[in-house]
Amino acid sequence: MAQEKSMAAPDLLRRAKLLKQGAEARVYRAEFLGKPTIVKERFPKRYRHPVLDEKLTHRRTVQEVRSILRCRRAGISAPVVYFVDYTSHCIFLEEIICSITVRDHIASIQQCDTSKDSELEQLAERVGQILAKMHDEDVVHGDLTTSNILLRRITESGEYDLVLIDFGLSYISALPEDKGVDLYVLEKAFLSTHPNTEALFEKLLKSYTASSKKSSAVIKKLDEVRLRGRKRSMVG
Amino acid sequence: MHLTHKLELFPDQKVTQMLFKEVKNAAELRQSAVEGKINAALINPTMLVNPFQVLVAANKAVHLQKTGKMKTRSLYSEIIFNLSPNNNISEAFKRFGISDGDTSVMVVLVHSEDESKLLADITARVSGQQVPVEDVSSLSDQAKIKKLYKVTPLEEKSGTLLDAVVCRMAIKDVM
Repeated sequence: MAQEKSMAAPDLLRRAKLLKQGAEARVYRAEFLGKPTIVKERFPKRYRHPVLDEKLTHRRTVQEVRSILRCRRAGISAPVVYFVDYTSHCIFLEEIICSITVRDHIASIQQCDTSKDSELEQLAERVGQILAKMHDEDVVHGDLTTSNILLRRITESGEYDLVLIDFGLSYISALPEDKGVDLYVLEKAFLSTHPNTEALFEKLLKSYTASSKKSSAVIKKLDEVRLRGRKRSMVG
Repeated sequence: MHLTHKLELFPDQKVTQMLFKEVKNAAELRQSAVEGKINAALINPTMLVNPFQVLVAANKAVHLQKTGKMKTRSLYSEIIFNLSPNNNISEAFKRFGISDGDTSVMVVLVHSEDESKLLADITARVSGQQVPVEDVSSLSDQAKIKKLYKVTPLEEKSGTLLDAVVCRMAIKDVM
């Protein structure tokens, strides 16, 4: 039977709501099988050679969904994958409702309510824990920022859980160097987005160190990366 | 009673689920299905958590049929195969398809328009009592499902069984 690219997803997306457009993909919101769904479309990059583009896009899509399942198996909250269209490179994921990004949460606390320091500290601790868990599963997120961690409200009294999203640049690696770089990326993003949070990030790292079984090698690499800048490992 | 959902990706296609209990002719139904004489997927409802699980399998099956990438020979066998967390086809049929001694059946049809005649045809062929599709969760053998899908205890704490099942169904081709 002829293998054709399905136009079904692109057609659906024409009617869906575009949430954001990045260099890599477009993110939409739609209803799918009766559930509120996020559709991540990795569109073709015309500046790349088509054969390479297809291979790279496919690989990134596959890595993204594998990392999500790997995290979920370890009890880390990440959106459920409902469907993957490998012909148009679209991932249909659970929309996490009743949530805000850690970025917005920190920003709002810093702006309006300076008495909630202990709440921020607890948040930093929990982020450290969840990242430790993720790295212990040998999942490297690749794009750790406070916009990619969601705070999801679970009870009215303010209990929440943390949900990791956007595994688009993630991959499986046991190397402390890769995990160190992951933390370095978060550190840069954290400190540049949220002023005067050096102590808070330190708390995050402390929590990470305490929660991860393989942390000492990772922190060591983090220190090395801080000195020289990232992605300059001599490991091929 | 029955549940019909229009596939958002394939607007001319609808998926209808019908659940039957106290089924007396499972063997005959299974034989008809094997001979290709029933235009429906006959699923063992004890392996189902929720009708959403069936929708996910059906959506993927229709997609693969349209792109010429089905792993099995028909749309209905593909729906059954898609429910499985692994890529072994005969095992999927054994576990998710009905067996001769089964007393409940979930019937799934994919059709384009008016379904009333199709539903009547099916209901006539099943020797059993039709019940609301939502009742399927009361038939779920959770222990069996957890074991087959290899749901970890950690996963159970942070999400629902349905989440774990659907995620594996969606990603199994690349795991």
